[in-house]
Amino acid sequence: MSKHRHKLKLKPVLYSILAFMLAFVLFAFSICMVLKTTIFSKAFITDCMSSSGYFSMLKNELTDEMKSLGNASGLDEEFAESFVDSLNLQKSVKDYISNFYSNESTMVETTSFKQQLIYAIDEYVKEKNISSESVSEENVDYLVNNAEERYINIISIPFFSFMGNYIFKAQFPLTIITILLGVFALAIIAVIFFTNSFKHRRFRYISYGFGGAFLSVSLIPLIVQISGKISQININTRSLYNLFVSYMNGLFMNFWIYSVFYLFIAFITFLLYRKYYKRAISD
Amino acid sequence: MLLKELPRARVLMEHKHNHSRHHSYNGKNFIILPIIFCVLINLICYLMLAPSLSAFVSVGSLFFSDAQKDFSKDFNNIFVPVSEPSNTDSQAQQSAETIKISEITFPKYNEQFGELIIKDCQIDAKLFFGDGDIPLNNGVGIYGGSAIPGYGKTILVAGHNNTYFNGLKYAQVGQQIKIRTSYGNFVYEITDIQIKESTDTSAYDLSADSENLILYTCYPFDELGLTSKRCFVYAKPVSNLEIDKNN
Repeated sequence: MSKHRHKLKLKPVLYSILAFMLAFVLFAFSICMVLKTTIFSKAFITDCMSSSGYFSMLKNELTDEMKSLGNASGLDEEFAESFVDSLNLQKSVKDYISNFYSNESTMVETTSFKQQLIYAIDEYVKEKNISSESVSEENVDYLVNNAEERYINIISIPFFSFMGNYIFKAQFPLTIITILLGVFALAIIAVIFFTNSFKHRRFRYISYGFGGAFLSVSLIPLIVQISGKISQININTRSLYNLFVSYMNGLFMNFWIYSVFYLFIAFITFLLYRKYYKRAISD
Repeated sequence: MLLKELPRARVLMEHKHNHSRHHSYNGKNFIILPIIFCVLINLICYLMLAPSLSAFVSVGSLFFSDAQKDFSKDFNNIFVPVSEPSNTDSQAQQSAETIKISEITFPKYNEQFGELIIKDCQIDAKLFFGDGDIPLNNGVGIYGGSAIPGYGKTILVAGHNNTYFNGLKYAQVGQQIKIRTSYGNFVYEITDIQIKESTDTSAYDLSADSENLILYTCYPFDELGLTSKRCFVYAKPVSNLEIDKNN
């Protein structure tokens, strides 16, 4: 009898440990899934670019850069405004992002930009009837190279080239880890479910696990978003700043989605627990 | 069959007994256990990351500031002209030749704090601290690594040759340069004009112990494109106004 009582006391402890393991595995699983759908996803960054108005801001910034360069080079402000082409700019950015996610060189392609600029300067010289004495090939080359440098700086995303290699190499291991964690979580749920003779107990421990996962996953975005640090990032350009804020908000939104899902499961299993608990009592 | 059901019935009875004893116990657990799990999970994560966490936090803090970033292209203007030849009233009380350093509002980067005028060259430009895009698109700017007027060091002022410093093509030795700031008006006299390569660092001495003004711009003037040569205009102070660095 005492041995049986001892067994009865040990059982809740064992199932609580299983519930904790479930919470931990679900927490790790959601981090991996969030990484896979955000940092490791090309679609996520391109979506953020569209939603944050990145391209239009980038065009304005490039126009401002070209105006400044025009001031130093004897070109009118209208030259910069008419020269900057948003379609080409978008293509350069998209190529840059694609190269990043396919482990190719993260250099910004500038050939088309340079060709357009040289053509536009030639047209400007003709239009303004500028004498050939005032236009030396050396000075124009210097201007084009400087403009190219500014174009690269505008499009480049800090630390992208550094991170590109790591992200590409980590893609496959992350997929494997995510699958393993998912399988492990299902296995724990199966153990809790099939080793408990009472239905209400099955749902109780599953509810504990999902409740723990809900709190753990919520804690990360909660702390970061309450601290307000995201909006205090030191980024020099408005386009990159808005992209970063949109990117981080999207990333934390993914965490919230998982945490709401876990809360929902925890609540459903709690209701099922109550239902079977009442039935067990009345039986 | 009945024998098989017996242990299950006994467990059920004990279970009922437990539930009747601890009826509120289970409800609390739905709150307490997830909180304990959350604390344990975060503790485990902290212990796993602890060796590298402080390094990450200290490096990460470099990427953040205390306030939200201001992307405005507008510049701040702290320039309030003072009447000539005297300076502010408080300065006049101290000495006609010196200005207390404690009474000066030092300009921040990209801030307009004065005017630069060369009548003979038809130059009348806003004077900024810094020589980035904002200063050079709106006037002329003092290189951040040099000094402000009156400080007794080299003042290196940049401007574009097609805009605000286009008039430097008319510069001649002996002409006067006037710099007006909120803390006093300074007069310099052009002593030399030289054309040098942009990479030639011998064109200026930023560690000089005496006040000297250097204006520079791209050369040749009125050329399309960027040029590799620079036109340097050197000037010495004429007015005796200086900043008293000890007060």
